[in-house]
Amino acid sequence: MNLAQGVQVVSLGLLSLMVLGAALGVVLANNIVYSAFLLGGVFISISGLYILLNAGFVATAQILIYVGAVNVLILFAIMLVNKREDFAPISSAWIRKGVTGLVCIGLFALLSTMVLTTPWLIASIPASGEQATLLIGEHLFSDFLLPFELASVLLLIALIGAIILARRELIVNEPASGVDAGLMLPERPREGVAVGSDP
Amino acid sequence: MDVPSLSTQLNPLVILPELIVLTALVVVVVCDLIVGRTASRWTPYVAVSGLLVSVVQLGFQWNNDHAIAFLGGFNGDALSIVFRGIIALSAAVTILISIRYIEQSGTALSEFISILLAATLGGMFLSGADELVTIFIALETLSISSYLLTGYMKRDPRSNEAALKYLLIGASSSAIFLYGISLLYGLSGGATKLVDIGTALTLSTGLGDPSIGIVIALVFVIAGVAFKISAVPFHQWTPDVYEGSPTPVVAFLSVGSKAAGFALAIRLLVTAFPVVWEQWRFVFVALAILSMILGNVVALAQTSMKRLLAYSSIGQAGFVMLGLIAGTEQGYASMIFYLFIYLFMNLGGFTCVILFSLRTGTDQISEYAGLYQKDPLLTLGLSLCLLSLGGIPPMAGFFAKLYLFWVGWQAGLYGLVLLALVTSVISIYYYIRVIKMMVVKEPQEMSAAVLHYPVVQWNLPGMRPLQVSLISMVLITSLAGILSNPLLSLANASVSNTPLLQSFIKASTVSVSITDVDSHL
Repeated sequence: MNLAQGVQVVSLGLLSLMVLGAALGVVLANNIVYSAFLLGGVFISISGLYILLNAGFVATAQILIYVGAVNVLILFAIMLVNKREDFAPISSAWIRKGVTGLVCIGLFALLSTMVLTTPWLIASIPASGEQATLLIGEHLFSDFLLPFELASVLLLIALIGAIILARRELIVNEPASGVDAGLMLPERPREGVAVGSDP
Repeated sequence: MDVPSLSTQLNPLVILPELIVLTALVVVVVCDLIVGRTASRWTPYVAVSGLLVSVVQLGFQWNNDHAIAFLGGFNGDALSIVFRGIIALSAAVTILISIRYIEQSGTALSEFISILLAATLGGMFLSGADELVTIFIALETLSISSYLLTGYMKRDPRSNEAALKYLLIGASSSAIFLYGISLLYGLSGGATKLVDIGTALTLSTGLGDPSIGIVIALVFVIAGVAFKISAVPFHQWTPDVYEGSPTPVVAFLSVGSKAAGFALAIRLLVTAFPVVWEQWRFVFVALAILSMILGNVVALAQTSMKRLLAYSSIGQAGFVMLGLIAGTEQGYASMIFYLFIYLFMNLGGFTCVILFSLRTGTDQISEYAGLYQKDPLLTLGLSLCLLSLGGIPPMAGFFAKLYLFWVGWQAGLYGLVLLALVTSVISIYYYIRVIKMMVVKEPQEMSAAVLHYPVVQWNLPGMRPLQVSLISMVLITSLAGILSNPLLSLANASVSNTPLLQSFIKASTVSVSITDVDSHL
């Protein structure tokens, strides 16, 4: 084993330990903020695995999207909902935890048996290495053009949906109780779209 | 690769129907932004005409020899055309019946329509998608739009609850589905096209037993599909989501979304999993038995009309699976025929439920008591649609069920067909219970809601489209049985024009006859 292989093996071991440790922390930490930050750790360690596999583009995308967008969004959501609440301990919580643990162990055993016994087909094309980003671009504009374009429709509708869910509807009957009028967003009143008579 | 040859290879005209729907979507969004709220007087009709033009365009593509587009990513064969037509039609009817409902609930109409069009787009792409990435993105477009539609009445806590439940269960089923297709990617050595995956799996299996990896991939993929068609045991979301979400959305989910799920099931299983044909047939037999029994038996105990229709749609999905299990040419044709008839009778039923809840504000079955005296047209329409759903002879539903059961019997599924017969008799009981409630009650037994029933006014804004869809759906439901020939030949032609189904049917009959010979020896 030469030096390069040694470094590779050691970093694989380190990264795997980081992924497993951070993932366990996400599940076991009692404070949800710690869980969210540890989730960021999981994502970053996984992008390290991608770098080990020579997939630089995927590693960058992983950090940009998962850490930069998804994880930050999760943290924002946690901070916006900063409600302190003490949950009453559930009386027989250990039964649930035990059953969940059993199911998870069973699934893990099944999947690892599958991974070990299945004859996997290894792709015959040589790894693209430095050319990967170029190849991904070519694929996006040839045989993956349709999903690439369809994703834009998906994003458009997610955007519209998020606006609909988040915008303040003008409530005619109920006075805004307890909310300072200065905090209310102004909304264009409905121009009497022929609603007709209510029954 | 130069531009002309690339555009021939992409063959983008195959998705022209989807492009028309997309144009309608963009027109609705942009015009609503520019014109303001008054635009919602005409945007629904833009959307409906876009969907109808798209259906006509699908008809023009019927005998298209160059059906494969986007270098194998999309397959516009006859099978996909039929399913895309069903989804587009169901969306058009859903928009017609939703105008008044949305206006009366005080929410914005144009946004509702644009989300519904996006869901339609996702469903239509899903019916023709021939490659894993396209399948997943189309599935997510359909699912995310469905979650948004479910939670559209955001001031109604039931709608919020339904959206949250749907989102959580849907996201986990998507994750399982994604795990399944990632296993397929690995098992086939990095292929994403379904045809390549099918070939690679056949080669790697050879004549021996399929490896445990293929079976697990199959189970995970079926879990994702069964969630979409709400087959038992992946049905838990259905009653709550149907009860909480706006009724027009339920109409779309029960017809359009379900049709997309069946299209995905046929294409994925037939193209990618011919190796494990026996296994997926067995899984679907189990799903069909559970769906038929649980859907129809639990429906007996329901008091809310929307929950009743939710359980009945679970049961109906069980019947449709009979055609998939039969696996013959007529099996697939009977599925498509049943889905067509189901489109008309179920949307007709939902139109009546929407009309009743618009006028009285309730969905309880007991509130329908004595409706016959106040609104004969609504009573007649709902009765005809429910009788058709139950499969009473002169209606279209009877012929659709007859064809399905006959095909099942031909394929030797005696036990399943007998079970289907028994459960459809059970289903007739709960459908007739509603009709009895409406028709038989004496005037003094009328419910409070019917007693204060408002005068029927069809000239209110948004009521004309409801009336049009009510009358056309009921007419088609009552006449399509007797004049079923065009629909039947359409369903048969769509199966015989689809190369992938033809080759699969040939292969499976050969393998069955080989096993027969083996057992005789």
